[in-house]
Amino acid sequence: MLLKEREDFRVIHQSKPRIDGIAKVTGKARYAADICMQDMLYAGTLKLPCPAARVTHIDTAKAEAIEGVEAVITYKTIPKTVSWASYRYLTGHVRYEGDCVAMVAASTQKLVDQALACIEVEYKEIPRVCTIEEALADGAPLVHESYRNNIFTESMFHIRKGNITKGFELADVVIEREYRTQMVEHSYIEPEAVVAYMNKSDGVMTVHASAQNPFFTRRYIADILNVPLHKTRLIQEVLGGSFGGKEEGVGIMAGRAAYLASVTQKPVKYVFTREESFLESSKRHPFRLRYTVGATKDGKIVAFRGEQVDNSGAYNNQTQFMNWRASVHSTGPYEIDHITTDTFGVFTNNVHSGAMRGYSSPSLIFGQEQLIDELAEALGIDEIELRKKNCLQSGSLTATGVRVEEVILSEIIDFTVANTDYKKKRALYKTLHQQQPNSAKRKGIGLALCYRGCGLGAESPDASGCMITVQEDGSVLMNSGLAENGQGLKTAYAQIAAESLGVTYESVRFYGTDTHSIPDCGMTVASRGTVMGAQPVQRAGKQLKAMLLEHAITLNVFKNPHLGVKDIDLIDSYLFIKADPSEKIALATLANSALWSGLQLATFAWFCPEPYEQDHNTGQGKAFPTFSYGCVVAEVEVDMRTGFVDVQKVTASHDVGTAINPALIKGQIYGGVVMGLGYGVMENTDPHNGRMNNKNFNEYAIPTALDMPEIEIHLFESNDKAGTYGAKSVGEPATEAVGAAIANAVYHATGKRVRENPCDLESVLLGKKLSKGGKK
Amino acid sequence: MIEYKYYRATKLADISEKLLLHSEGSEQPGLVKILAGGTDLLVQIFEKDRALQNLTAVIDISSLTHALRYIREEQDHIRIGALATHTDIGESPIIAKHIPFLQDACNTVGSPQIRNKGTLGGCICNASPAADPLPPLVVAGTVVVIQGPRKTRKLSIEEFYLGKGAVSLEAGEFVKEFIVQKIPQTMNTAFIKVGRRKALAIARLNVAVAVQVHASGIIEDVRIAPGCIFIKPHRVTSAEDALFGKKAHRRVCAQAGILVGKAMIEETGVRWSTEYKLPAIEGIVEEALLRAMSKEDR
Repeated sequence: MLLKEREDFRVIHQSKPRIDGIAKVTGKARYAADICMQDMLYAGTLKLPCPAARVTHIDTAKAEAIEGVEAVITYKTIPKTVSWASYRYLTGHVRYEGDCVAMVAASTQKLVDQALACIEVEYKEIPRVCTIEEALADGAPLVHESYRNNIFTESMFHIRKGNITKGFELADVVIEREYRTQMVEHSYIEPEAVVAYMNKSDGVMTVHASAQNPFFTRRYIADILNVPLHKTRLIQEVLGGSFGGKEEGVGIMAGRAAYLASVTQKPVKYVFTREESFLESSKRHPFRLRYTVGATKDGKIVAFRGEQVDNSGAYNNQTQFMNWRASVHSTGPYEIDHITTDTFGVFTNNVHSGAMRGYSSPSLIFGQEQLIDELAEALGIDEIELRKKNCLQSGSLTATGVRVEEVILSEIIDFTVANTDYKKKRALYKTLHQQQPNSAKRKGIGLALCYRGCGLGAESPDASGCMITVQEDGSVLMNSGLAENGQGLKTAYAQIAAESLGVTYESVRFYGTDTHSIPDCGMTVASRGTVMGAQPVQRAGKQLKAMLLEHAITLNVFKNPHLGVKDIDLIDSYLFIKADPSEKIALATLANSALWSGLQLATFAWFCPEPYEQDHNTGQGKAFPTFSYGCVVAEVEVDMRTGFVDVQKVTASHDVGTAINPALIKGQIYGGVVMGLGYGVMENTDPHNGRMNNKNFNEYAIPTALDMPEIEIHLFESNDKAGTYGAKSVGEPATEAVGAAIANAVYHATGKRVRENPCDLESVLLGKKLSKGGKK
Repeated sequence: MIEYKYYRATKLADISEKLLLHSEGSEQPGLVKILAGGTDLLVQIFEKDRALQNLTAVIDISSLTHALRYIREEQDHIRIGALATHTDIGESPIIAKHIPFLQDACNTVGSPQIRNKGTLGGCICNASPAADPLPPLVVAGTVVVIQGPRKTRKLSIEEFYLGKGAVSLEAGEFVKEFIVQKIPQTMNTAFIKVGRRKALAIARLNVAVAVQVHASGIIEDVRIAPGCIFIKPHRVTSAEDALFGKKAHRRVCAQAGILVGKAMIEETGVRWSTEYKLPAIEGIVEEALLRAMSKEDR
């Protein structure tokens, strides 16, 4: 149902102001690059101007001779080149243009650059493979010797459901299509930054970083220094955006900086330029999607065959997770009896593909939701009817053969179609196009559905912990190993803690992530923060509340020895007797007495969901605790002379389960729509032969304020209890269907399909990409 | 990192003096660039642009606003000082009245920040074929006033441009101002830019036109200057000739577009981008002509 006011919550379900909002908008928030320390050095690395090479000779003497240069380290002198996760700290075997052969620490950034320029390197270029086709060609050069045909075997996943041969026999209409998506950059405002120093008081290598996943990043420090984790500490500074991008790249940076700090025994600051950020940070996986889909003439989809291949780049530890998720979601939100899909990644000499908001879904949906429109056209059936006939309902079986309940997708479709006047506009624009075939501007409207498994599911244990402490004055400090990445986690967690503990939102503050303060709670990824990561927050709040009520009885704060725990309650930071709520005792009073009586005022709770098991060969089995559903409509006006797509309006309807903070959710969706818009019409790093053409924002176009469409958001709630207070994921659903909806709208306007994202000028006008080719 | 000397000019005479310090045959010969708004130059220095490999010195003239930042109306023309910013031009009532499409073009340059810093002189001397103000200046008829150590000289803007990144400046010379002819009140203008987004976009293509249509519907005068497609900017007379004396109609405008496309191929041949640029330039020339023709009289 559409979001409406509810009486059953005190703190959640309200648009509380962000805990970190004022500091950010007033410019007071401190970012990692803002940190300066006494005797601090600066760091930088040396890259080669080619994506595949072996270094044959390296001489650092001139660089070392420069006064102020305190360390020059090469792949030969670093104790280990390969990190715990396969990415290279430094390497003499360059596999992509972001690989570094040497690094320098010096007293100024200028000296760093000067020293790097003085390092003499001789290298031999070696054959490279850059596209999926090149990687899979017979006899192609291997990016990693151990991976035959460049196929990343660990990233291969299959769905086998029903009997595909039988399925196609049942089909009256079969269509076959190929779609492709491009490599895009996260484009966070803040480039990656770390500051590393040896804390001489405790011998702990301490790193302040713009890290999305503090524990994941810490692993690199212990790895390169070969010290126990307790001798390393990672403190997360305020993040200026991440979207999945500040994982591997920042881990490698933390490792490099920690090593330089250890060698020089001085603090080391290491900040990426925007170009370095483009070159070294992971990108969204480009996919090649080949689908064959069969349906009966009345519109029942009966068979679905898919091959989903992604370009993983040079190194990877994300493609297997990317592809597992891609495999689970490989048929879209549709119930189909006979399915065969195969998903795998290939290594190439490009920057490693990695996590980016939506993971594989924006790419898949770009294909799937155009495929549905194309199938509807082939069948001569209305595309909304086709979707409704096949989409998941309560009781449907997913592609992995698991029953889903509380599915409100049909309700969301009906609402969104009616709300946008979709059917009327669909017919009207088509008539206009026929009447005025030469008109310079044409309007189009398109729709795309999405569904998303909430949290990590069977990818890895979705376990986390939370600690809550009530202070003697009734204020509350909470801590979790999940991190504020700009998504509003601190605020949502404080609301959830306040709700379950029975205190006011204002009394709760979130500590922030310091690996010395809390156990590893896994990564803050997969839109898991609220839906799963906050489960122990709710649990800890509940536990602590029970504890406080017991203290109130033990200390007899109501001066009534006949009262039991069941007779009293704690709400809005006040204790009261249920039978007579007029007398209220402030939590501060109880907390103060409890402290001086030696009673426990803190608790730690852990949450681990039930294990999910899938068969590796067929993909059958439970993959996720639940799914979220969405429907996005895009309205465009296309300049038929230039191919320019003006996205004029985007309507986004999402099932958020329970809205913990409606304003934050809307914020996520506004941002997600804009990101989807950039993905859909303009963004492309345009790698050519392993070299990126666009690596700063003067060439890599993202939407500006003038490109913003009107955005209309509708939040739906459902009765699904799987997530924290019934909440579902929204960070990634917000962006994943936008590109597909735009592509369908562009087709509606022009009558020409863009099957290779994005719908840029050339693709829309000519139906294909143009590239100037090699380096400028 | 490129290292160079930095001079700050405090009077006009400083510019030629410092330029000559590093001219060929001097004691410290090398490339000298003038810094006006810096919106192109600083980016090129940051990117270690190959053209700046021999950069020896930068002369910062940004404080000479008194002498070089102005927009003045005279009898038949407007004088625009080299340091007039895109914002100055975009907000000037004189420009709005007499060269309206130059206002449109300057308002599409970069972002407000770039328009506040970037100057017309810098833009033209940077000599990008994609410069947005260039097509309107060509259509209006513009003379570049070049100040040397001893004398000033004048060149038409078409002569001044030598090609991408190259302009006709001799030792010690700099651009002082532009003399732009007023567009007659009987003509209507239009400027169209195609970029990858609505702001902060380098033009993929652009075009400026001015048209005079008689009450009877006959085209009496027309000028067309496309951007981004020629090595040196110029009007396309073949397309203009095809319109003279014709009845203003979509068909003739489309014909003009085709002729501009033909001129592009004749001049620059077929390149990787031609497949796109050809239909798109045809389209925007047609569109610009139609827009200008459909405007109310000024």
